[in-house]
Amino acid sequence: MKPEKIKVLYIDDEVNNLNSFKAAFRFDYNIFIAENTNIAFDLLKQHPEISIIISDQRMPDKTGVEFLEEVRSIYPAPVRMLLTGYADIEAVIGAINRGNIFRYIQKPWNEADVKSAIDEGYKFYITNSMLENKNIELQKAYNELDKFAYSVTHDLRGPILSAIGVINVAKNVEDITEMKSIMEMIEKAMHKLNDFIENTHDYYNLKRGELKITDINFQDIINDIKDIYEINCRVNAINFITKVEQVETFRSDEMSIRIILNNLVSNAFKFQKKAGTDKMVDLHINVNRGSAVISIKDNGIGIPENDLNYIFDMFYRATTEEYGSGFGLYNVKDALMKINGKIEVQSTPNEGTTFKMIVPSK
Amino acid sequence: MDSNNLHFIIVDDSKLDCFIAEKVIQNSGKDLNVKSFLLATDSLEFIKTVPTRNDDFKIFLLVDIQMPLMNGFEFLEQFETLHADIQSRYVVYILSSSINENDINKARRHPSVIEFLNKPITFSSIAGLIENL
Repeated sequence: MKPEKIKVLYIDDEVNNLNSFKAAFRFDYNIFIAENTNIAFDLLKQHPEISIIISDQRMPDKTGVEFLEEVRSIYPAPVRMLLTGYADIEAVIGAINRGNIFRYIQKPWNEADVKSAIDEGYKFYITNSMLENKNIELQKAYNELDKFAYSVTHDLRGPILSAIGVINVAKNVEDITEMKSIMEMIEKAMHKLNDFIENTHDYYNLKRGELKITDINFQDIINDIKDIYEINCRVNAINFITKVEQVETFRSDEMSIRIILNNLVSNAFKFQKKAGTDKMVDLHINVNRGSAVISIKDNGIGIPENDLNYIFDMFYRATTEEYGSGFGLYNVKDALMKINGKIEVQSTPNEGTTFKMIVPSK
Repeated sequence: MDSNNLHFIIVDDSKLDCFIAEKVIQNSGKDLNVKSFLLATDSLEFIKTVPTRNDDFKIFLLVDIQMPLMNGFEFLEQFETLHADIQSRYVVYILSSSINENDINKARRHPSVIEFLNKPITFSSIAGLIENL
């Protein structure tokens, strides 16, 4: 792919200068010209990807230094340069020292000077914008880390403290049946803890792990999931329907696919109606023309409309029914992002929820 | 349950923690009644319907912090808008597993909160609450 030309805005009140500048550099750069500051501001508004601004110093409505100072407050990203003769050197030094311009080009300009100025300026621009993006990413990562540390202490300590509490209660219990039910509670708390740790592990893998693209056989993955839920299906009378239509090769990151399916199936089982009859979970995968369409449908408790926008947020929990870490769907979203998948959710409280995804083959 | 005879309300989204609190309170040997709510919103509705009385009978309110839909702090904010006659019937404690200083300080700054208690609740902490009354 040919790299895109650097976009340069040149402003000068003399039309002849504009034209000769454009004629000289239009093969190397994408040149925008403006004969007054109003036009220049319009161009900057329409083309936010302009990375270099070169301004003449002596213009009737305002000086180049004034113009560039104004530009800086509205569009801080582009690199600003001043084009001027020796007479204005005082103004130039002041502007450079105040950080308003990156460099000045002497008038009359020669092609080599302008080119080197633009190329140097562009390097500066790229470095700056990369730094800016890194900073934004870093800030996001810090925010997430704060949230993470806070919830981890809560979610790890919660089940442990529950177990300690219930063991304290058990000390005064003589009845064996009651004791058994207390053991079950401790078991549940430990499962919750274990789930949370597994989710944390997934989270870390998704954040830091590289994609490993291999051939995916959906039937194999579904068979594994069916094994895990076999007992659950029997004990809770849930009908787990699965259908895989795959004749073509599908390539993607298997770990991401598994995290997505595990979490969504686990939710579909978890959020069933307690007293429901005809409980079902329907998992359907259709691989066709390079993409997999996956739908997971249940007739469980559903998700209130107000909560639908937040279910993919980290640690958001829409219900006190059953335990949840508030991690699952966040990991699903993260995993889907990694493999360029899209997800949609439809839900009606008391009727059920359907997640639909499309994942392209790599 | 007759609200005239209610001594404790637990607000906690964890069924197990509600169970623990109920057991600890019931087994304290003091014949105490307890009612628990998994949803803070439900407990607020309940509190609004408890008829006011003229005597100084108090109900202990033990509230968790991290709960879905309405957390402990949101609950406190709502609770503190209730009529003073209603509020004065309750002795509010935060009961949480949090060790986050912000949580602890924030809870203590709430005018309605007596103290921040750490989970799990024990016989001695219940005895302490009653003694402090």
